[in-house]
Amino acid sequence: MTDAAAGPRPAVPRGYDADEGVTGPYPPTEEMLAEPIPEEVRQAQEDRLREVWKEPPGWRYLSAVNNSEIGKWYSLTAFGFMLLAGILALVMRAQLAVPDNDLISANRYNQFFTMHGSAMMFLFAVPMFEAISILILPAFLGARDMPFPRLSAYGFWCFVIGGVFVMGSLLFDAAPDAGWFMYPPLSTKQGGIGADIWLLGLSFIEVASIAAAVELIVGVLKCRPPGMRVNLMPLYAWYVLVVGGMILFAFPPLIAGDFLFELERGFDWPFFDPERGGDPLLWQHLFWIFGHPEVYIIFLPSIAIAAMVVPTAAGRPIVGYSWIVLSAVGTGFISFGLWVHHMFTTGLPTISLGFFSAASEAVVIPTGIQLFAFVATLMVGRVTLSLPLLWIAGGLAIFTAGGLTGVMVAIAPFDWQVHDTYFVVAHLHYTLFGGMVLPVIGGVTYFYPFFTKKQMSRRLGLWSFWLTVVGFNITFLPMHLTGLWGMPRRVFTYPGGLGWDWLNLLSTAGSVIVAAGILIFAWDLIRPKGREPLTERNPWGGGTLEWSHDVPEEKWGVRSVPYITSRYPLWDQDKIVERMDAGRYYLPDAEEGHRETLVTSVIDARPLQVLRVTGPAWITMAAAAFTGGAFIFPTFHMYPPAIVSGALAILCVIYWLWTSTAQIPEKSTKDIGLGLSVPTYVSGPRAVGWWGMWITMLGDSTAFASLVFGVFFYWTAGTDFPPADAAHVDWRWSLMAGALGLAAWAAILLARTTNRGGRPLPAAAIAGAGAVAGALAIWAFITALRLPGLNPTSHVYPAMMWALGVWTIAHLGAGIIMLLYCAAALIFGKATPTHDAPMWNVSLYWHFMALTVTVTVLVTAFLPRGL
Amino acid sequence: MAERKQLHREFSEELSSLWRIAIAPSVWAIHFVASYGLAAVWCAKWSDATLLGDVSAWRVLICGASVVALGIIGWIGWKAWRQWDFLEDWDYTHPLATEEDRHEFLGHAAFLLAVLSAVGVIATTLPALLISTCT
Repeated sequence: MTDAAAGPRPAVPRGYDADEGVTGPYPPTEEMLAEPIPEEVRQAQEDRLREVWKEPPGWRYLSAVNNSEIGKWYSLTAFGFMLLAGILALVMRAQLAVPDNDLISANRYNQFFTMHGSAMMFLFAVPMFEAISILILPAFLGARDMPFPRLSAYGFWCFVIGGVFVMGSLLFDAAPDAGWFMYPPLSTKQGGIGADIWLLGLSFIEVASIAAAVELIVGVLKCRPPGMRVNLMPLYAWYVLVVGGMILFAFPPLIAGDFLFELERGFDWPFFDPERGGDPLLWQHLFWIFGHPEVYIIFLPSIAIAAMVVPTAAGRPIVGYSWIVLSAVGTGFISFGLWVHHMFTTGLPTISLGFFSAASEAVVIPTGIQLFAFVATLMVGRVTLSLPLLWIAGGLAIFTAGGLTGVMVAIAPFDWQVHDTYFVVAHLHYTLFGGMVLPVIGGVTYFYPFFTKKQMSRRLGLWSFWLTVVGFNITFLPMHLTGLWGMPRRVFTYPGGLGWDWLNLLSTAGSVIVAAGILIFAWDLIRPKGREPLTERNPWGGGTLEWSHDVPEEKWGVRSVPYITSRYPLWDQDKIVERMDAGRYYLPDAEEGHRETLVTSVIDARPLQVLRVTGPAWITMAAAAFTGGAFIFPTFHMYPPAIVSGALAILCVIYWLWTSTAQIPEKSTKDIGLGLSVPTYVSGPRAVGWWGMWITMLGDSTAFASLVFGVFFYWTAGTDFPPADAAHVDWRWSLMAGALGLAAWAAILLARTTNRGGRPLPAAAIAGAGAVAGALAIWAFITALRLPGLNPTSHVYPAMMWALGVWTIAHLGAGIIMLLYCAAALIFGKATPTHDAPMWNVSLYWHFMALTVTVTVLVTAFLPRGL
Repeated sequence: MAERKQLHREFSEELSSLWRIAIAPSVWAIHFVASYGLAAVWCAKWSDATLLGDVSAWRVLICGASVVALGIIGWIGWKAWRQWDFLEDWDYTHPLATEEDRHEFLGHAAFLLAVLSAVGVIATTLPALLISTCT
């Protein structure tokens, strides 16, 4: 099939007038694409592109923000944390090899299993998805870079600082030791700083995850190559979209939980203390609303890698594209209805268990469908048993075994028998090793030629694969039995003669074999390959765009952004790589000396804008360091430095936004090749920044909703919420605060319209007035809480009211800064009547604020009076 | 409002919309949360209230909600089936770079998700049908 859609432009679809500012022929015709490019033009273009995209030399290399560099650092760092967490597992296995062992103390053992779980989840599995996606997604999409390179860099540096801080605590014997899900009251009552390190360190990393999710979602929706309609997207992109969405709804409840948790640890607000009306189960709910989707957040991206490897290995398009999209989206949704199956033994009503048991069984349907689609593709194709396919196949076999035990433990009465035993340990390792570790290793093997332009060794790979798979089963298969025979998880030792001895010894022996397998892989990954020849350009014969990469490496991503008419352009579109190389497609040049990428429409990927993306910077690193300070100082109860650090972080972010985002370009449109001219500046829903704000606020609202859920939870769970004689939030002041908040919202909307009407200075004054209204709203909220004498340490009811208040006040504070930013932007000409992206983004923030303020007023000042 | 118009343009081309594929699963999600919340609140606060004779009120309400949810999902599924238009050209792969394939693909995906969501709603209803008491 050659350019099926090439031909006259179809009639303008209904509801669509021509895109503003886009002029010229689209889509390109075959004659246009066949026109040769003179060699000297091509050379000059290549030189300019190379100059624009080159990395800073020497030590300034660290300031790079390009997706290929950040992605590489990110994935290697995550892999390093995985090896550390693996060492912890090996020490634990050594401790458990024989009964009554005293290799390490109970205390150290607690720290090790806590950190093994926490690091594998928060420092390896989730960041690895983000890292690999940042690394390869732009290549799948024929984009030059992600839409917000500095945001990726910021996320990466946050991750490094948080990860080193949390893992470092092991060296001081001060690591968290209450288990990776940190259940109160143990974790809230215990002394030391372990629990604080866990909370603050990992909250900080969650921020990085949400940043990556924003980046990836916007990347998939807005940075696809022209012509790549939603039905042509690589399946990996579909999965990234689903997983990004899941992160937005899964991580915020944990952030809300962390917020309550730290208020209890730091200030004695009794959210989880039953003596003062609190309830430890709220933490379990919030943790697992995060924790269960997280399993799928880890699993789906790895399946996504399989969805790229399988068609290549089978030499044919995937079977059941729509079915796989169904299963990705369906799994994404249903995974949010499973969380209580981690809480089957907490004494919830059986009817509640019934709902979650049902959903836990239902999620098997979409999960199974995608595996069948892979099997079908392999059945009808001509399979080459490549090393990556071997890893994927081994992974899916192991995952299926874990899935089957999952069906067992999803049945509540069975779970009551095996809860907190080694059976569950076996189950979760089968799902995570099979669903994540092995497919990711397969993916790294598959994409290695793309990452490094060298090949990994097939011989070492086979050794690594068989050692890992055999060792894994020797380690974890016996654990099912160990668990059924009653061995609880998380015990540092056990007495002999219970029948557990040989099973444990077997598991320990197996763990050493797994370690050998992983080490061989690690060696193959990093061993110097200087003398080996460069890889072929498309060594596996893949059909997707990443295999149009340049060998030897070029930093520009793609030489020119192609026009796509197939799911497998390299198989179906004649001469596509040749034309990309020649610069025949879009954006073949960088005349103005800026890094640029193409922004297209969500559904049909029609070109909309040339986006200037940011280049190397130190400011992101400084912002990450100060953000780190704001999270790390409170661990040691050093609040003044934390506040200073937080303020500096905000200043860094403002500087970064002011100096490098939504810059007004010299000319309003740009010729991007093939006769097409598109705008260089857009605002509102057509701009990537607006999308970033929208997606961030969706996550933020989820966290807020989790706090509101807390109010209803306490009301249902106990009889004394609110206590009979409780003082309530003052409704008059609260109402006034609400009105002032809504006034600030109205102000930014009015400012935006006034500015559009050609009067930027009055608009600035209105935005400034909005900021004043916001400040007064904060004052009114504080008065509403203080006037009735609500003491947050006395009972969970006033504590919850204060928590909602603090949340809203902090968000109003951020909103005020944004209003002032807009006012300044209008005064200093950074925003004008025709270039008003900041106004749109801040309006969007305030839409969400209007909702937050209204809900806060209703839930704090009015609802409790009726309960 | 200007913002709404731009949003509309951004999300939907012609009769296709990316959002539409998420409606049926969202109905499942709302039904799921409502069932769980209803049972939890009802059992905590008014465990002996009954409807339709001596059946616990929450069971009746959940079954009623299921009928409503299945109705909505059925309607969405029917619209998606029409959008897929399978019987017209027997196309279930949609691999071409045409408006038609994109349009039918989104219908196909929405249809499959409607079926899955219906199964999910039925699964959620089973506990309310089979379990007669709160504890």
